[in-house]
Amino acid sequence: MILQTFANYPPRKRLGLLAVLLGFIAIFAGSPFDRVETKINAKEMSMLSVDEITNVNVEQLADDIIKSKFNFRLIDLRKSDEYAKYNIPSSENIPVDRLLKSDLARNDNILLYSDNDFETAQAWFLLKSNNFKGVSVLKGGLKTWQENILFPTCGCDPNPTKEQQHKHNKLAEISKYFGGSMQTGSVVNSKVDMKMPEIEAPTNIKLKKAKGKKKREGC
Amino acid sequence: MTAPFYKFGYFNDEVSLIVAFVIGIFFGLVLEKSGFGSGRMLAAQFYFTDMRVFKVMFTAIVTAMLGLFYFAWIGFLDLSLVYYGDTYLVPQILGGLILGVGFVVGGYCPGTSAVAVSTGRIDAIFYALGGMFGIFVFGEMFPFITDFFYSTHMGRINIPDLLGINYGLIMLVVILMAIAGFTAAEWAEKMVAKKKVEE
Repeated sequence: MILQTFANYPPRKRLGLLAVLLGFIAIFAGSPFDRVETKINAKEMSMLSVDEITNVNVEQLADDIIKSKFNFRLIDLRKSDEYAKYNIPSSENIPVDRLLKSDLARNDNILLYSDNDFETAQAWFLLKSNNFKGVSVLKGGLKTWQENILFPTCGCDPNPTKEQQHKHNKLAEISKYFGGSMQTGSVVNSKVDMKMPEIEAPTNIKLKKAKGKKKREGC
Repeated sequence: MTAPFYKFGYFNDEVSLIVAFVIGIFFGLVLEKSGFGSGRMLAAQFYFTDMRVFKVMFTAIVTAMLGLFYFAWIGFLDLSLVYYGDTYLVPQILGGLILGVGFVVGGYCPGTSAVAVSTGRIDAIFYALGGMFGIFVFGEMFPFITDFFYSTHMGRINIPDLLGINYGLIMLVVILMAIAGFTAAEWAEKMVAKKKVEE
């Protein structure tokens, strides 16, 4: 009966009524922000193997930071006191439990790291299932960063070839840049004096964060 | 799939230009067909003889508003990625006044003047040239007004958040305003037409 009356109205009146109705319903609908949620397909997710997580090598990251080619938001997932002790230059600290409340946008290029692989995977899963697009993980996390970048061990030949010598020098330079040092001798011994550099150590690094490059948009 | 498609990287910069071109063509077509391409029709709004432009404009506002709200509400659109500019209160009030005066004097706003240029209207060509001259003057003046340009910055704000009012309530108010506006506009049209007949 009501529908019949409605159908008999001229189109403009119908549209007007529809608009009022939608406006009225909207009052009870709440805020339109942050309603993007994805249903997690458990089967699909369990099929995802570790290989499918987009990885970035520590070497690649170090290279990008040095060359200022960096276009990620580098996220340190550890607790803030751990972050304060040491962090990879240009990183931001967002612990896992605050991840979804942070200012990360769904179209940001995000690179996650932690000293705990499980935590990193958890964060990756969390962001992916909330429809974040460009999420990658630093392969091996902070531990690999420490071992391969800050304190690389030289498995040197006593008589290195030119190529090996060059590689060695490069590694030494990179570790010095980030405030670490090259380790000589066997792997076991070197671990003893591996102390993270002071947070102030790499003072020469000033990076433009990807976040700062906000494009001006509009009409 | 989540909108905005471009921000989520579903297509690249080149494709985005093609998309913009296609949307732009249709936008221009709709403007021209609704009479936005005629300075006379735009001026008619201020004399209450033909309120077509007013009605098209307000309909577009209500449609876009409801569309954005419900698309975001069902989770199809990430509203936090939809761009709107920061608020610089005083400079924007002044800018709005300048634009408004230009609108009344010239009979076009920047967008409608582009439509009118494409149909070869001479007044619109002069209007567009004037607009470009204005852009040039502004650019040259910019070093002297930079401080003012960036003053009273309030960040990215909107009315519901600023006043702490429900989004839906603001929408309902705007919709009721539109309907009241349409009714008043049609009543004014009839009154003016009657007067003309009497004369």
